[in-house]
Amino acid sequence: MAGGRDTGSAVQRQIQQDWANREYIEVITASIKKITDFLNAFDMSCRSRLAMLNEKLTSLERRIEYIEARVTKGETLT
Amino acid sequence: MATSVTLEDALSNVDLLEDIALPDQQPCIEPPPASIVYQANFDTNFEDRTAFVTGIAKFMEEATVHAKLNEMLEEGDEYAVMLYTWRSCSRAIPSIKSNEQPNRVEIYEKTVEVLEPEVTKLVNFMYFQKRAVDWFCEEIKRLCHQERRRDFVSEAHLLTLGKFINMFAVLDALKNMKSSVKNDYAQYRRAAGFLKKMADPQSIQESQNLSMVLANHDKITNTLKEKLETIPGYEEILADVINICLTYLDTRMYVTPEEKHVLFKVMGFGLYLMDGSQSNIYKLDSKKRISLSKIDKYFKQLQVVTLFGDMQIPLYSYITKSPHYEENKSRWTCTATNNSPSYNILEQLQPIREEHTKYISELARHSNEVVTTAQKDSPRTDEENKELCDLALRGVQLLSSWTVQLMELYSWKLVHPTDNFSNKDCPKEAEEYERATRYNYDTDEKFAFVEVIAMIKGLQLLMSRMESVFNEAIRRNIYADLQDFVQIVLREPLRQTVKKKKTLIKSILTSIRDTCVDWMRGMEPTDDPCLKGEKDPKSGYQIHVPRRNVGPSSTQLYMVRTMLESLIADRGGPSSKKTLRKEMDGMALTSLDGFHKQSFFYTHLLNFSETLQKCCDLSQLWFREFYLELTMGQRIQTDGGDGSSEVRLKAFKPQFPIEMSMPWILTDHILETKEPSMMEYVLYPLDLYNDSAHYALTKFRKQFLYDEVEAEVNLCFDQFVYKLSDQIFTYYKAQAASIMLDKRFRAECAQHGIQIPYPPANRYETLLKQRHVQILGRSVDLNRLITQRISTAMQKSLDVAIGRFESGDLTGIVELECLTEVNRLTHKLLSEHVSLMDFEAMFREANHNVSAPYGRITLHVFWELNYDFLPNYCYNNSTNRFVRAVFPLSQEVNRERAPPNTPQDVYGTKVLNNAYGHIYNLYTGFVGSPHFRAISHLLGYQGIAVVMEELLKIIKSLIQGSIRQYVKTLMDSMPKICKLPRFDYGSPAVLEYYYAQLQDIINYPELKTEVFQSFREVGNAVLFCLLCEQSLSQEEVRDLLHAAPFQNIIPRQYVKEGEKPEAKMKKLEQKYQALQVTSVIEKLGTPQQAAIAREGDLLTKERLCCGLSMFEIILTRIKTFLEDQIWHGPPPANGVMNIDECTEFHRLWSAMQIVYCMPVGENEFTVEQCFGDSLNWAGCLMTILLGQQRRFEALDFAYHILKINKADLKDDVIKGVNLRRMCDRIRKFQILNTQIFATVNKYMKSGDADSLPVEHVRCFQPPIHQSLASSC
Repeated sequence: MAGGRDTGSAVQRQIQQDWANREYIEVITASIKKITDFLNAFDMSCRSRLAMLNEKLTSLERRIEYIEARVTKGETLT
Repeated sequence: MATSVTLEDALSNVDLLEDIALPDQQPCIEPPPASIVYQANFDTNFEDRTAFVTGIAKFMEEATVHAKLNEMLEEGDEYAVMLYTWRSCSRAIPSIKSNEQPNRVEIYEKTVEVLEPEVTKLVNFMYFQKRAVDWFCEEIKRLCHQERRRDFVSEAHLLTLGKFINMFAVLDALKNMKSSVKNDYAQYRRAAGFLKKMADPQSIQESQNLSMVLANHDKITNTLKEKLETIPGYEEILADVINICLTYLDTRMYVTPEEKHVLFKVMGFGLYLMDGSQSNIYKLDSKKRISLSKIDKYFKQLQVVTLFGDMQIPLYSYITKSPHYEENKSRWTCTATNNSPSYNILEQLQPIREEHTKYISELARHSNEVVTTAQKDSPRTDEENKELCDLALRGVQLLSSWTVQLMELYSWKLVHPTDNFSNKDCPKEAEEYERATRYNYDTDEKFAFVEVIAMIKGLQLLMSRMESVFNEAIRRNIYADLQDFVQIVLREPLRQTVKKKKTLIKSILTSIRDTCVDWMRGMEPTDDPCLKGEKDPKSGYQIHVPRRNVGPSSTQLYMVRTMLESLIADRGGPSSKKTLRKEMDGMALTSLDGFHKQSFFYTHLLNFSETLQKCCDLSQLWFREFYLELTMGQRIQTDGGDGSSEVRLKAFKPQFPIEMSMPWILTDHILETKEPSMMEYVLYPLDLYNDSAHYALTKFRKQFLYDEVEAEVNLCFDQFVYKLSDQIFTYYKAQAASIMLDKRFRAECAQHGIQIPYPPANRYETLLKQRHVQILGRSVDLNRLITQRISTAMQKSLDVAIGRFESGDLTGIVELECLTEVNRLTHKLLSEHVSLMDFEAMFREANHNVSAPYGRITLHVFWELNYDFLPNYCYNNSTNRFVRAVFPLSQEVNRERAPPNTPQDVYGTKVLNNAYGHIYNLYTGFVGSPHFRAISHLLGYQGIAVVMEELLKIIKSLIQGSIRQYVKTLMDSMPKICKLPRFDYGSPAVLEYYYAQLQDIINYPELKTEVFQSFREVGNAVLFCLLCEQSLSQEEVRDLLHAAPFQNIIPRQYVKEGEKPEAKMKKLEQKYQALQVTSVIEKLGTPQQAAIAREGDLLTKERLCCGLSMFEIILTRIKTFLEDQIWHGPPPANGVMNIDECTEFHRLWSAMQIVYCMPVGENEFTVEQCFGDSLNWAGCLMTILLGQQRRFEALDFAYHILKINKADLKDDVIKGVNLRRMCDRIRKFQILNTQIFATVNKYMKSGDADSLPVEHVRCFQPPIHQSLASSC
């Protein structure tokens, strides 16, 4: 009976250890998930801002082209 | 990197990430964007089963079997995918025409080489199906064993057997359907046989078997059935399987759509397997072993389920196939073809909407809590965790039910294609797949489809945003539930069993406890009274159950649930009457039952992200391998507007055009109907491609399927952007045109019952804010794409506006101005959402006026002036308008054709085009002040200057060319002397005198044509300049008035008595000081800015103040053209002036006046009709410029006749000329001439007393007496 209890408690300890280990894995997993979420959000945010910047640059470029064409009066700039 | 980071630091770093603000300015109208997807899967498939030594051995064994079965199921899945995605290889292999063909061997060799790997797969499949059937029968046999039968079989095990049944059904159906597999294999056999590849008897046998498996219809099913029928009592197990499916359906024990449909298929196919020579389902039913009526009810509700991909199966077909069906026909109602209400999506829509709203608001409350209390220190309580966990479960269940709703409708529609009778739009020769998709949904159904998709995808996004929160809550809740259950709830049953000495139950309960318990102190408290069967002390017995953020492992959960089930199960055939359930206490049973039921969903919840994704997976809406197989060969795609190269490619790779593809059908439907409430959903149906591509890559693992999805997306997305931007531009154009449309015109139209509707408001703003649309892993800046197209469209519509003007006469300028304004407003409205180039810049570009000094408009105005306006228009001095002459003297002008255009290039819609067309039609009959205003707006100073310069050149060439020539000729035919006859002769005689004198002039043939025409042209040119200047002056005055408040120009004030005007003005100046631009900028701006402001101010002020007049300059310039001797003749002989001599221009003009004053006959045109007042303008102008005005007025022939006639009032007809009428005309022309003289003199300033030229007065020497003269 005493031996049975010993193995029983040993198993109980192992099970508890397993719970603890898996909780640790779970925490790490959750953190990775958070990092993933962050990266995705970061990605979206960057894309949005880059798109804005791109738009501004494009319109500036167009303006420059237009002004260049306006001032050259037919002859090309060298 | 020596520095180490502790776990705490690392975790807090991760937590800090949440604090970083990541603004994203786009409204979220697309499914969750995910560049990275992270899904952890802790399912071990019972690998770790041996670790749980405390479990009951029997269930350990079962777990082993389970693991094996799962592996086989997975393998079966792979074969199903292989069969489903099989595309015929043999079709592409060149066929052998004759036995003499020289490259025959080579072709065979290559055939074998190409097909061998595929055939190996088929061989493996053959072995697999055999193995699987054997295994399944073995397992059934084991379970059917007399001894074993008494025992309990777990739900999980029965379900796995059910999945096997499903697998057999799927594999067999796929094998039956795919003729290309058979063809490929036949081709391989032929080639291999020729090459003597299969020489040994073993491989010949193998090949024979494979052919049989492939060729025989329902081979797997038949073998399975045969084998099963050798096992006595097999129907009992199958009945258990069917019953468990029924129970699951009854209690909604399923989450994903697939789980639900598997239950249905298992019931159907199971019944088919059970009904045979050995057993009869109808007998089983009467023994109450199974309930056919219940199954019938389910089958009636859901008639069709997906077998695999786009391959559907009507469930009743399993029933009708079974051998005992005929005699029991009447028992089934599901076989009748009637529509189940569950297929009416329109009715389902309202409840779905309500569920959606309700759930979304609940979710919003939680998500707000999460956002606002993210930093709270204490973790959530058990109740909060439970609430969130429930919320998550309900969410996925809702999503799943919606997905199920859609997919079931889709399945049903695939099985019930439409035809020409039910849908008139469906052509008779329509493709099978087309009839099942394209023409099979009406408008409302499509909208409902889109809406449900949008709800699914929208909720999926919201839930996946909360995933971390959900995950933690789920794990904590499950842990708490499980530990509370085993540590606290189980105490009571344990006490009971110890007390009543029920060792078996006690051992199971202890086993459950030991398998998953997590004691606070690492071991069980030994002093728990329940272990001894004693009651708790009065003070109560406390157990502290720990809390963790982790769920049980998959094996652990399985063990706990299965062991628990063995206690509470009441299932079993007649041989297993004795169940443990009966020995249990009622109270304990309820709690055990409750936990067992609720723990069913733990697996789904623990794999939350995977479950969520499965519940929202609509990928199957795209796959159509089944239909491709059906249509294979019949069709080689040539339509769809593809290029020829595409056609050649598609001959090898047949695929349906996008018009038949569900995602595009739905997307296109929104675009075509322009339904405002659906517009924001337009990206959701496109997301179906993401689902399909994901499925093709991860489940099917077929590159070619992904490639096809990708190709379709490329095509669709282009179409989408094209249609959308077109639509947006049209929308804003129509809006602008509606705003600009005359309100009174609109009201008038409405009174006459003609409605000109405002365009209905639509929600393009949200779409225009999309800067990163995720499609197939690419991020698309939708705003940018649309901007590009819109600015092209904008440019085009400006181009069209100018082109339209160029294709018409000068009157079109008014419409051009309006179109420009409409475009300007469109540009303004659009600029709020997209970044376009400046309107002025765009306009200049369209006008070709960026680097050239003057644009298309200016050129066309001048062109029109030169070729049409000057020669063909007549001026009317009283209306100040030009009208086209009754008959043209110049040849017809050929203009460029108007550029091709669509309604949106003009005013937006046909109705608006029509309305504006009517309005501007009113301006086409004349050229007057509106036209000149438009010209001065559109041409600007520069353009007008150019036009006038050119006009001057024309005038010069006319005056110095044709007019001079004619004048010279005519002068020669003038009488040398032409007197003013005395009054005594009477007016008839005077007229007769002039008639005789001017005979040659009057009869000059070209006078009334060429000569007058030249004069008219000069007159028109001069008048054009005059009217332009007038309208320009109005503009300037308006400008000045607008500028006045900013320039410290304050109008004179009314002054009351006793007030000092200066003081009042001072006060006002003070008051409006803040408005004065120059002083403000001097104060606040840089010196440079101040200088610019000053210059601008000066420019505005000085523009008119010195009374600059263009017309005066023009007159002066024309004057310089008149220097030739011919105009003046020789100096007067008397040294003062010519009286009777006809040498000067005004004499000729008088002669012409006689000509045009003569009244005309009934059908002749008067001079005014032909040339208008422009003729007089030219004549009078020249007279003034030559300084001959006074002489003209004094000595004019016609005036003289009028004067005499006034006195004698005689009337007569002289040489066909009615004197009275002639005098009338003379009088009118005299008035006209006077007006012209007055106007011109005003500009010439000759009326000014100060500027009267002194040199015009000739000073005569007083006569000197001879005596005095000689003395000098």
